[in-house]
Amino acid sequence: MEEVIRLHNINKSFRTAVRGTGLRASVRSLVHRETRSIHAVRDLDLSVDRGEVLAFIGPNGAGKSTTIKLITGILFPDSGDITVLGLDPHRRRRELAYRIGTVFGQKSQLWFHLPPLDSFHLLGNVYDVPPATLRQRIEELVEVFEIGDLLDQPVRKLSLGERIRCEMAASLIHHPEILFLDEPTIGLDVVVKSRIRDLIRDMNRRHNVTIFLTSHDVGDIEKLCKRAVVINHGQVVWNDTVKRLKYSLLNRRIIDVKTDGPLTIDQEGVRILKQGEYTAKLEVDLDRAPIEEVVPRLFRNAGIQDINISNIPTEEIISRIYEGSV
Amino acid sequence: MKLMRLFSHYVKLNLQSAMEYRAAFLTQVFGMILNNSAFIVFWLVLFRAVGDDIAGWGFTAVMFLWSITAFGFGLASVFLGNALYLSRIIYTGELDVYLLQPKPILPNVLWSRSIVSGWGDAAYGLVLFGLTQPLSVAGIAIFLGFGVALALVLTAIRVIYHSLTFYFGNAEDFATTAGELVILFSMYPGGVFDGPTMWLLHSVIPAALVAFIPAQLFASFDTTLLLAVLAADALIIAGAVIVFARGVRRYESGNRIGARL
Repeated sequence: MEEVIRLHNINKSFRTAVRGTGLRASVRSLVHRETRSIHAVRDLDLSVDRGEVLAFIGPNGAGKSTTIKLITGILFPDSGDITVLGLDPHRRRRELAYRIGTVFGQKSQLWFHLPPLDSFHLLGNVYDVPPATLRQRIEELVEVFEIGDLLDQPVRKLSLGERIRCEMAASLIHHPEILFLDEPTIGLDVVVKSRIRDLIRDMNRRHNVTIFLTSHDVGDIEKLCKRAVVINHGQVVWNDTVKRLKYSLLNRRIIDVKTDGPLTIDQEGVRILKQGEYTAKLEVDLDRAPIEEVVPRLFRNAGIQDINISNIPTEEIISRIYEGSV
Repeated sequence: MKLMRLFSHYVKLNLQSAMEYRAAFLTQVFGMILNNSAFIVFWLVLFRAVGDDIAGWGFTAVMFLWSITAFGFGLASVFLGNALYLSRIIYTGELDVYLLQPKPILPNVLWSRSIVSGWGDAAYGLVLFGLTQPLSVAGIAIFLGFGVALALVLTAIRVIYHSLTFYFGNAEDFATTAGELVILFSMYPGGVFDGPTMWLLHSVIPAALVAFIPAQLFASFDTTLLLAVLAADALIIAGAVIVFARGVRRYESGNRIGARL
């Protein structure tokens, strides 16, 4: 398998001002400013193969975005070696830019006041795509992402889901070999999330585009990725298949219930994490207790006023990996 | 060639973007023309009160300063508008978008935004020049050439001062003030300044290079002076390119949610 991304012993730190709260501290900091160094990434080693769909996950502030920015040439590392598609992203930033694409859920490359088609043409120009090729490429992307009706509407009038579809199309104008997706499904509803996942999968299968995905959404990881790399405090704490991660943690759900009296449940695979007089938090191991059995049982055993079923938060997955329970 | 194609694409897109709000576009353009015209009345009244000469500068010469400054300022606003927002682009992490594209970063950033009212300034500068100055081919060439030079040098000054954001976290107010000072000093007769102020106006706030000396060359052409001022302009522009490129190495990015306006 051809290695397309390789990071070896990467370190990156930022200096930040240390200041107390209140006016006095602010005035003091005018005269004497203390700073401290924050290690965003420490001794990071990572490799990604061509055609792979990699989940790169971790809690907020773990170093995910910093790592992507190091790989794409936005940030300079303090030390270590980075090679992407055989290029050093910092020395050959422009050369690399022709071969990678990015979708940052929080940052747009589309012009807010103009229709997406205008941005597509501009990006074609930015990436030196010949006009005839660009026309053909836009036609393909319009078909794949089903954005024909959106092309002539100003971006400001699009819904978030429509905008993300256009963002993804925009990031693919120049046929990138690697696509970096940073929280692509953030804020989207279930239906649109599922559509976006289908499109990502399709892109990977049809064109062998390597996908480097960061997400807090367990669904994205489960449904798209074969391998997961978990990062915390700038270091890799897990690097294995999603299948293994799934067997260990992703096959669990959290159920929060409000009841009209104390809840009792004795079922294999269901564990009470927290209990109050009228509330309870349960963890369900789906391998041992299918959700379709647990929920009716809860309704039979207690007067359920409200119920919420959710995935285990990424933060918890990380902490369990740290605790060694995986 | 490819860069020029990108430049013209940006011009077209910025114009389209501005036209999305036609009323705002027209109000800003004509509002700026009206605003600038008010100052001409002020200078007319002043010259009537004090006589034909202020520190060696007559009304026509002052109008040359006003026309070239408005024209150059307008060009900078229309074609290099993002220079004004450079600090914000740096400290909010918006620079990421440009770093991910296969084009030289600085022109790509500067071209990608246009300030609508700049069209009003540029048009006003041209009209004022046509109405108040003796017209000749050489004179028009000097005016247009130094109008472009003013736009480039003003942008370079903005780039240099805004690039301090790479080092100090936020130099927005300081850089904005520095840019405004260049414009402010450019519109007053050079003869009223002397000593250390004149040194400042030849260096850190280069109003002399972009306005006083072009006015001098317009009145009486001198090849040596022309070459000297062009060399000084080139030095400032090269300085901006270097300071920005070094700053980019210290760029820390950010995670603010943003849109391209």
